[in-house]
Amino acid sequence: MRALVFTSRNIKEMLRNPLSYLFCLGLPLVMLVVMTLVNASIPKPEIPAEAGAFVDSSAMQATTVFNIENLTPGIAVFGLTFIMLFCCISVASDRASAFLTRLYASPMKSTDFIIGYTLPYAIIACAQVMITYIAGEIISLIVNGESFNIGYMLLSIPLFIPSVILCIGIGIFFGTLLNDKAAPGVCSAFITAAAILGGIWMDIDSMGSAWVSVCSCLPFYHAVKYARCILVGDFGSMVLPLLITTAFALVIFVCSALLFAHKSKADK
Amino acid sequence: MNKAIELKGLTKKFGEKTAVDHIGLNVNEGEIFGLLGVNGAGKTTTIRMLTGLSVPTEGEAKVLGLDLRNDLDKIKLMVNVSTQETSIAGNLTVEENLKFIAGIYGVDKTVLNERLEDIYSSLELGEVKNQRSKTLSGGWQRRLSIAMALITGPKLIFLDEPTLGLDVLARRELWRFVKKLKGKVTIVLTTHYLDEVEALCDTIAVMAKGKVLAVGTADELKKSVNKETLEDAFVEIVGGEKT
Repeated sequence: MRALVFTSRNIKEMLRNPLSYLFCLGLPLVMLVVMTLVNASIPKPEIPAEAGAFVDSSAMQATTVFNIENLTPGIAVFGLTFIMLFCCISVASDRASAFLTRLYASPMKSTDFIIGYTLPYAIIACAQVMITYIAGEIISLIVNGESFNIGYMLLSIPLFIPSVILCIGIGIFFGTLLNDKAAPGVCSAFITAAAILGGIWMDIDSMGSAWVSVCSCLPFYHAVKYARCILVGDFGSMVLPLLITTAFALVIFVCSALLFAHKSKADK
Repeated sequence: MNKAIELKGLTKKFGEKTAVDHIGLNVNEGEIFGLLGVNGAGKTTTIRMLTGLSVPTEGEAKVLGLDLRNDLDKIKLMVNVSTQETSIAGNLTVEENLKFIAGIYGVDKTVLNERLEDIYSSLELGEVKNQRSKTLSGGWQRRLSIAMALITGPKLIFLDEPTLGLDVLARRELWRFVKKLKGKVTIVLTTHYLDEVEALCDTIAVMAKGKVLAVGTADELKKSVNKETLEDAFVEIVGGEKT
């Protein structure tokens, strides 16, 4: 019950912050449209007619990243990194304003806090993913004249939950660890790193094994990969990155919950 | 008279530093009790221990007849605190803040509505109840912070430096509200303003260097060191030493 009261407060706090609309909803949608326009303006590599002629496969793959069926899941993951940012700022601001001190003196338990920070951002994140996919569907109809597979699209939403938990876990972690001045900067750097190393804007697999190895050490590469696989119905390739992302999500979320509980009892 | 707080040898150490040093105090139910001391005297640390924010290193403490170490969850339901820094949810309205904290303490809806009306009239918050709390002035925010402590119907309330950073008029307004609460709820108030304790408190404990040096009414403290004013008495009691 206390967790739900706290959840309600956090939802109101986020919905009343205009920046959350701009970054959590506006920016992913703008990126979706802009990258589609960029993709449309890139000349497609011609496939040589003669047998045995050289084909620049990296150029081919680079352009497919911006195809709407690949772009939409990538942008959906990118949007979640802003959920991470706002979750982080929320925790850090509560700590800075002594609001949490008041709540620590109340009958609330650590689990109430964790649920209260997780639920609202999970709800908003799922809504954000749905809106991104609906926007992607509309763009696909306009640009390609064909729809996403609705079944795969619907399946994508619940299977995004590991990525949602991952981003909220990272948000709580940094929000607990950093003060309200440092938190936004560190999260912004993390968003940039996630976008580059997650393969949202580039095809990591065509960049060499060393680069793939580096990106594989972080969860976003796997999160983007499995999201793309679901939307095109490549379930065989989906399983491993989904499991890896889920494992990352669980470990990071548990670590952030333990850190929060530890910090709330720092001088005990 | 029943005791709201009974402390015996309560101590808090942070490594080598002793913030609160074997203090013993009794606070009667219904009174306004002032913890007076300069910065770093140990007032806030004492309150943090009594509200469960900090664990005592040693000593015994009973709050509302319950043992602080063993019955903290029960104590938390009957106690509330208004911290030194204003602790409100900035994007919520005044009423939402009050309902939020009441929800955390599980206050029944009918009781909540009665308390809201009472608080709106006594603390004059009714006129700003639909205003986002971050848009309120410092004085109003502090008033809301105290109201958030009262809405849960505590038997004991801790006001940690309630007028810190407020202008003269806002301070006087808050004094008026605190006086209205006298007898309804036990209040422990920390401050380093001498006029504040003299105006508000039934009993005053003077703290310095983590120790309680004297306890009594303002008149008793003045008489104990043969001084005319509380300021002179305070300086005499703490021996001119800052902390």
